[in-house]
Amino acid sequence: MSLKISHLSKEYGKTAALSDVSLEIGDGEFLCILGPSGCGKTTLLRLVGGFEHPSGGSILLNGALYSSPDYSLPVERRNLGMVFQSFALWPNMTVRQHAEFPLLRRKYAPMDAAEKRRLVDRTLSGVGLLALSDRYPDELSGGQKQRVALARAIITKPKILLMDEPLSALDAELKISMRKEIQDIHRMTRATILYVTHDQSEALAMADRMMIMKDGKVEQAGTPQEIFLHPKTPFAATFVGKYNLIRGTWERDTFYEENSLACWKDRGIRPELKKLGIFPLRPDQLAIAKKGNGIPGKIINRQYCGREIHYSVESSGGLITVYAPLNQNYALDETVVLTEREETV
Amino acid sequence: MKKRNWFFQAAGCAAVAFVFLLPLFRLALMSVTQTAGYGFGNYAELFREPRTLRAIGNTVAVALASTALSAVLGVLLAFLVAYLNIKRKRLLELLALAPFILPSYVVTISWTSLLEQNGGANRLLQLLHLPAVSLYSLGGIIFVLGLCNVPLVYLTTVDTLRKIPRELEWAARASGCGRWETLWRIDLVQARPAIAGGCVLAFLACIDNFAVPAFLGIPASIPVLSTYIYEKAIGFGPDSFSLAAALSVLLSVVAVSGSAAMSAFARKTKRSESIRPDFSARIVLGRGARRAVEWTGLAVFAVLDLVPLVTMTAASFQDLYGRRFSAANLTLRNYEFVFTSDGVIRAVGNSLFLALITCAACIVAGTAAAYGKSHGGGAHIRLLESCASLTYAIPGIVLALAMIFHWSMIPGIYGSLRILVVAYITRYLIVQIKGSSAAMLSVHPALEEAARVSGSGKARMWQRILIPLLFRQTISSSLLIFVSSLTEMTLSSILAAAGTKTIGLTIFDFQQSGDYNLAYAFSVVIVVLILCGYGLVQCVGGAGRKKGGAAQRSPGEAGSYRSETLKKMEETAS
Repeated sequence: MSLKISHLSKEYGKTAALSDVSLEIGDGEFLCILGPSGCGKTTLLRLVGGFEHPSGGSILLNGALYSSPDYSLPVERRNLGMVFQSFALWPNMTVRQHAEFPLLRRKYAPMDAAEKRRLVDRTLSGVGLLALSDRYPDELSGGQKQRVALARAIITKPKILLMDEPLSALDAELKISMRKEIQDIHRMTRATILYVTHDQSEALAMADRMMIMKDGKVEQAGTPQEIFLHPKTPFAATFVGKYNLIRGTWERDTFYEENSLACWKDRGIRPELKKLGIFPLRPDQLAIAKKGNGIPGKIINRQYCGREIHYSVESSGGLITVYAPLNQNYALDETVVLTEREETV
Repeated sequence: MKKRNWFFQAAGCAAVAFVFLLPLFRLALMSVTQTAGYGFGNYAELFREPRTLRAIGNTVAVALASTALSAVLGVLLAFLVAYLNIKRKRLLELLALAPFILPSYVVTISWTSLLEQNGGANRLLQLLHLPAVSLYSLGGIIFVLGLCNVPLVYLTTVDTLRKIPRELEWAARASGCGRWETLWRIDLVQARPAIAGGCVLAFLACIDNFAVPAFLGIPASIPVLSTYIYEKAIGFGPDSFSLAAALSVLLSVVAVSGSAAMSAFARKTKRSESIRPDFSARIVLGRGARRAVEWTGLAVFAVLDLVPLVTMTAASFQDLYGRRFSAANLTLRNYEFVFTSDGVIRAVGNSLFLALITCAACIVAGTAAAYGKSHGGGAHIRLLESCASLTYAIPGIVLALAMIFHWSMIPGIYGSLRILVVAYITRYLIVQIKGSSAAMLSVHPALEEAARVSGSGKARMWQRILIPLLFRQTISSSLLIFVSSLTEMTLSSILAAAGTKTIGLTIFDFQQSGDYNLAYAFSVVIVVLILCGYGLVQCVGGAGRKKGGAAQRSPGEAGSYRSETLKKMEETAS
């Protein structure tokens, strides 16, 4: 089975929130939609959920039409679960009532009460909330709230789970531990997950495949490795991998930096970037030296980060960020040259 | 210094007790006063009369039924306006809020004009082989009261509906709930406290209302407690005042227990609100359905609130009451009488005088109290606030009686306009205290400090910063007091003497003596005046809004100053 999105677009008045997005998502795949705020990622999710109606294009599940400009299957018949950034818990219901809520539908009338109770118990213990069954949302912490929302979303074993920045309202440490829980849920339910986030480390950590969006358009789609190691567009390079975009000219497999004599060999750079005369280098792919053949520059800022030191270096081509090992100490205003670091295999 | 302050507070407390508490105490005392000493003989005597039980039964029935009617119409309207993608929402809102702007006796009179015994509406019913409808019945009282209180429920509900986060609905939809089931299980449950709050206000308003049962119930000899108290109070007899006092205590018991029960129902629900109301349409209807809903809504509220005014206007130009409308019968005589009669002119003069004096006194006293409250307060100010809330919350007819018992002891007050001035201030002061306090709160101390730091002198600071900021909120409460006292009828029906009749009382007398067309004409004049005044307020309010910088005001909210006042009333009622 697969969720097929073709040529989807959505306009609000005259502004296009989404234009011509096509995508196919396989059964049980964990797809992260990554982009800055206002890039249309949430709109895409709402269209898949059926909360909004497309202006053009279509969404199909296994060949059955979900959404098109003239038709929209009601949300409640799409067999999906949804988790929101704001948790969206009902303040007047307990944890247990939240988990039970989807089972109250007529579809589950044949299921007997004992079975329902077992299912609720199992799901709540799956997210570690069995002991808190009788609490109300205002008596829970942020992480617990989001686990209630997860329990509610997965109890009917939906085919598709939609997650709209589910971890953005949590504090940094909790975010990391909740990632694991979401991965566990993905393994447990084998649901197709559409996960919207603006946090690239979240996307890289969890996704089977990710899609980078900007201004309502898809920049690049692929596995986290593909996108991290071989970005296709300048935006994908800077947003996901924090690449420095070094400008110069490409002559077959060799790159000549425009303001110095530095020249580097191709290391699997996508032709799209080559065409733009760009050599992308991550901060950890650069090394700093006192002198030598490289890009000359001046250190204008340093941040000690424990495992490494982050330097900002001003060069004639612009600001370049370098992550240097702790033993490389340079002072502010020192003149240095930047070279490509040897690839450690 | 400290000692003087203490003396000052004690004197303040004594004054407050004298003006606000002693009248109520005297009322309670009067209810247990018998020919020989004290006792519950008055109550025993009342309960021996079957009319008392009927009055209590009618009061409860009328209050509950009309509250139910207001709740259904108000919630339905709030739902249409808050969630649907219909157009012309402002017009709909304006139509629905009309009974809130007009005094209830005008609404009642307009309906009696529509449902005259041989009037057009009843003839139409006859043609359809339906029984004729008489407004002079229990059903009529319930209907008109229910209609008058729709805005109370609507205004408390509509903003809450907008503030229910949309994600709560979406989560339910994703859990398999249909659109309508979601409304029922999520939105309605979330809005329940607000709806109950609106119902409490409507319930209290029904218990308090004297005009509607007086216009419709007295001719048909249907007693409710407020009119029964009135009859007892103006009736003669050795113990009629004591009986009226005992009835007043009963009425207060009904009011308090009823609203307490409704509030208890509301308190249980937990709810979450987003801070910002969401004005976008949540339920998008197709074009056909949207138009159908839009025009049905407009038509229903036009019939309820506009058509009676039209028939009243038509009838006011008629020579004889109860005839079929015809060109031959057209006359300006009713208006001629209204504009030339000494009684009418004196009544308008009295009401205007009362409204202005009450308004001015409340602005001074209320703002002073609010200023005192925001600068540390003191026992006397706290006492004043709670006592003034009490005299606003108890039914008007009860307050009127208490005023008689108290102020007739002090020479020179009772029997002249002075008793009305005192009564109105006692009644309405809390509105100004709340309004001025809210205005004071909105001026952050930092603003004062910022003005001083940037070098403004104190006079300049008041002139350039405080007064512009305070003005709008203070004046909106004053306007409410002005309109309320201008069109007041309950207090004056008991307290006014021959030369001190008010507008409301004059219309009441016209209607009671059968001069229906005069009552219509006078009411039309009042409606026109109120509409002009309201338009003026909207203009001034619009200009003041820019200056006053009330940025937190949500756009597109008709009658916004009314809803502000409503919040104050809610606080007062609880």
